[in-house]
Amino acid sequence: MVDDVLRLKLALLASAFRGPRRLARTGIVAGLALALAVAMSDWATAFRPTDADHRAGLIIIASVIALALAVSPLTSGLGSALEPRRFAPFPIEARPLALALALASAIGAQGLLTAVLAIALVVAWSGTAALATAVVGGALGAVAIILAGQILVAVAAQLAVAPSTVHTVTFFARGVVLVCVAAAITTALVVERGRDTTQVEGIAVVLASTPLGLPWAAPGSDTGAVWARLLGGLGLVVALAVIWQWLVGRLLEAPQRQRWMGRKRGLGVFDLVPATQSGVIAARSILYWTRDPRYRLALIALPIAPALMMIALAIAGVTPQYLWLIPLPVLALFLGWFSHNDVAYDHTAVWLHIAAHVRGASDRWGRAVPPLLLGVPLVVLLAPVFAMWSGVSGVEPALLGISLGLLLTGIGVSSVSSAAAPYPAPRPGSGPFDQPPVTAATAGWAQGLSMLAIVGLMSPSVVVAWWGFVDDPEWLPIAGVAGAATGVGMLALGILVGGRVFRRRAPELLDLVLRN
Amino acid sequence: MVLQVTGLRKRFGRTLAVDGIDITVRKGSIFGFVGPNGAGKTTTLSMITGLLRPDAGTVVVDESDVWRHPSDAKRALGVLPDRMRLFDRLTGAQMLYYCAVLHGLDRETARRRTDDLSRTLALEGSLDRPVADYSIGMIKKVSLAAALIHSPRLLVLDEPFEAVDPVSTAQAIDLLRAYARAGGTVVLSSHNMDLVERVCDNVAIIVGGTILASGTLDDVRGGRSLEERFVDLAGGRSAVEGLEWLTTFSD
Repeated sequence: MVDDVLRLKLALLASAFRGPRRLARTGIVAGLALALAVAMSDWATAFRPTDADHRAGLIIIASVIALALAVSPLTSGLGSALEPRRFAPFPIEARPLALALALASAIGAQGLLTAVLAIALVVAWSGTAALATAVVGGALGAVAIILAGQILVAVAAQLAVAPSTVHTVTFFARGVVLVCVAAAITTALVVERGRDTTQVEGIAVVLASTPLGLPWAAPGSDTGAVWARLLGGLGLVVALAVIWQWLVGRLLEAPQRQRWMGRKRGLGVFDLVPATQSGVIAARSILYWTRDPRYRLALIALPIAPALMMIALAIAGVTPQYLWLIPLPVLALFLGWFSHNDVAYDHTAVWLHIAAHVRGASDRWGRAVPPLLLGVPLVVLLAPVFAMWSGVSGVEPALLGISLGLLLTGIGVSSVSSAAAPYPAPRPGSGPFDQPPVTAATAGWAQGLSMLAIVGLMSPSVVVAWWGFVDDPEWLPIAGVAGAATGVGMLALGILVGGRVFRRRAPELLDLVLRN
Repeated sequence: MVLQVTGLRKRFGRTLAVDGIDITVRKGSIFGFVGPNGAGKTTTLSMITGLLRPDAGTVVVDESDVWRHPSDAKRALGVLPDRMRLFDRLTGAQMLYYCAVLHGLDRETARRRTDDLSRTLALEGSLDRPVADYSIGMIKKVSLAAALIHSPRLLVLDEPFEAVDPVSTAQAIDLLRAYARAGGTVVLSSHNMDLVERVCDNVAIIVGGTILASGTLDDVRGGRSLEERFVDLAGGRSAVEGLEWLTTFSD
């Protein structure tokens, strides 16, 4: 029984290397795991057991890494083939199954990293009197991580039946892992500098008395505390094992939770928008921005351009602080410009708008909603932060106004250009990197001119902001107001003009997409 | 007259796809539009429905010119084009709601009609799946529902029954007949002569961008089957020559 499950697990692991897509994914996971393992062993060898701050750092790092490892099985979705429920149809007792599944789960990336963590603890304390404690503590900690991970997966798989819940769980788990790794790195850096570590030691004391830190804090404590912590760790493992076994037994019998399907279906985003032409077009656009890989890639790539610009300017020798003024306007510019070929992304589906004789302005408004919904809060929330980091006094209104202006002007210009100068785009359903079947010379022109138009229309406000920056700060608020006003004006004008162009040229737009 | 087409003409590059077509369709009839591949059926129907701008000619739907007063004409038109996408990341229910609201229906009506149409066309089980997951036949059915949802006076359907299963086809035909009896008008194109003979009361045969025969079904058939008449007009069968090797089997 146990070896059957173990063999199954090995077969599953082997399947992760089959097929180029899965191989790529496995490669990424393996790379990250390797990096983490190397970092952990590095830290362990550099560890100085006599330093209080080193010991505190070790407790914190081990605790957060343990948390990350316990949560890590949730990050790959909940399709794990080794959930207890999958074994319900077979005549297997709960007790051996619980043992087999726990052993099987120790094989794999999570198990390997857990082992590395435990070994790192032993290596760190090797050569001291606390070595034996470290061995026991590390083993207890490792078992606790594995069991906790299994319990989390089983519970989450039972509760999260709707795909959206599964996504949320996965997303949240990835977030936890990221935060944990970041916390570990920060701790390592703080301890490395070795200046003021009282705070680190304070956190370590708190962690050492929680289940999370118990096993890692055992080596190096006073004799009484060692026993208390080891016994506590043992208690933790026993408790987890009991819960795990009870859970396996429960899941083998409990019915699968069903997704509730009501008669009255919801229409998702469509229920949240008014039942008007622009309303439903906005809802449809939002769905495409969030679900279609062609749009999603752009959203992911969006922060890269400002980051690259910052790096380039930093190398060129611009005062680093001032660089914080760059990202927001650049981001706003690209976000507004992004939809300049929106109609081509619909491909022939745009016939629905033509057959229904949709009002041009309604079509344009609907398509403008996703970038507005994303961009305006982003600019409003981030402008004060970036303005503060830049250290330029009074720059906030200018940064806010110019960024808003770029976003709105961009959406306005896009409203016109997507109706007036569409060019072949990747088809619906294709990947974001797929080239359209026909590439047209118009593509470059449309991209360049629309970008130029946005920058051109916003240049007066930008010039005023520049005066404010280099000469007289009095100009900064004026630039902000001018920028925002330009944006509002250009958005209204763009939607009006773009709407007229769209309605007049609608059959020609359809003809254009039909040709490629 | 619900549809009056005069002198419709369209040229793509050097080929004259549609060469001066005249059609009149009276209210309450089911008009079949048949022709071989590349005869100009889809081009003609696209120009009738306002999706493709004609080079010359007029299309009048319910007394409004489709190309001069499109908003009135398009309100009276329900369209199912061939080989055009839907917004296929929406679910079937979202898609129908989308079409209904684009045509000016309110939320309650849009939902009620979505329910009614999906029951009639046996779409109920699939409404919550994205349209991208549908089979071709399912897409045709949901497109038909989308064309009907704003209760148009004239339905223009391009190959509506391609890849649709026999049960759904029969159901859709019942629906179209009831619609025509109630005063609606249907123009449909098809390759399936049997189906056209079964469903339509008027037919037109288009070959090479011109109409070769048109009128009531009996007039056009002239005592033979529609298929025979059609093959005749489309240039007859060419004798199978040069395929002698096909009759000498390799083993």
